[in-house]
Amino acid sequence: MHRKLTLVMAVLGVGALVAVAGIGRAEDAAAAKDASGTPVADGATLYQTKTCFTCHGKDAKTPLLPEYPKLAGQNPAYALQQMKDIKSGVRANGQTLAMKGIMHLVSDEEMVVLAEYVATLEP
Amino acid sequence: MKRTWIVAAVVVALGSTLPATANEWLQEGGEREEALDLVPDLENGLSVYEVCSGCHLPEGWGTPDGTFPQLAGQHTSVLIKQLADIREGNRDNPTMYPFALPRTIGDAQALADVVAYIEKLPMNPANGQGPWEEGAPEFELGKKLYADNCVRCHGDTGEGMPDKYYPRIQGQHYKYMLRQFEWIRDGKRRNANPEMVEQIQKFSDTDMSAVINYVSRIPVPAEDLAESVDWMNPDFD
Repeated sequence: MHRKLTLVMAVLGVGALVAVAGIGRAEDAAAAKDASGTPVADGATLYQTKTCFTCHGKDAKTPLLPEYPKLAGQNPAYALQQMKDIKSGVRANGQTLAMKGIMHLVSDEEMVVLAEYVATLEP
Repeated sequence: MKRTWIVAAVVVALGSTLPATANEWLQEGGEREEALDLVPDLENGLSVYEVCSGCHLPEGWGTPDGTFPQLAGQHTSVLIKQLADIREGNRDNPTMYPFALPRTIGDAQALADVVAYIEKLPMNPANGQGPWEEGAPEFELGKKLYADNCVRCHGDTGEGMPDKYYPRIQGQHYKYMLRQFEWIRDGKRRNANPEMVEQIQKFSDTDMSAVINYVSRIPVPAEDLAESVDWMNPDFD
């Protein structure tokens, strides 16, 4: 009985956390706008539409190749800096050529949202 | 004197071998020929296609901004050649390369399966087009350039020639074709047909934009198009 109750409470708790996280994301998305004033999509949407998941995995921790990094739980400042440097070409080593080919799709504001999104994921 | 001769001989040797090794249009044998002879399994083709759909989308329509080409409706021979070329290192595409690897999508049978699935997908009714409408001088220039330079291989309506690995270019996104055309002209795309490379050597950038604009506006036969731009591939939920 106790165990059942604990389980129910845990489920409710997780549900509430997810809901809070969801609201948090929605607020972030509403706040973020690009240079032209267009609202930036939320992190989960960007992670899919900008094709991040194809290489880094849907959960951001099962990359396509072992040479590609896991992103879930990464420090957002680090993730943001790598995206910026790969896009600009300042960083051009390792596997970065594969990612450079799509970075024209991602704006500065979207990079911030993406960096914050991957940081929230369970490593 | 002797040294001069050696240098001259080396220069001559390099001159005669470099163009042949730099271009990789068609190599004998290899996975391309193997995959072409296999009987495709469409169900497995769908399963293989899932990884491709991340960028080329479930509909196989790519993106009108030209980042990813439309694959739907492309000839199986062309798709097999490009996949085999990318994974064998004959066409440089760092973004796609890991997805073309055998450890990602499978062997020659997987190639045969996935291309058979892709070819049958209905095409995008709203591909990315160039800026000039019929009647504009640039459109007319492109139309003439197409008739004079491209028809013999790509056909009157850009339908291509499956037996010769000449791609269907009707319905393809303008910006994708522009990029590939430039790379073919300038020698960056190593698996290009050498006859095409020669044919377009004298194209200026203006000629290039004009001819690609024209191609991007060639109508695709209605029976090959999806019913609407909102069509979604029912194989993906």
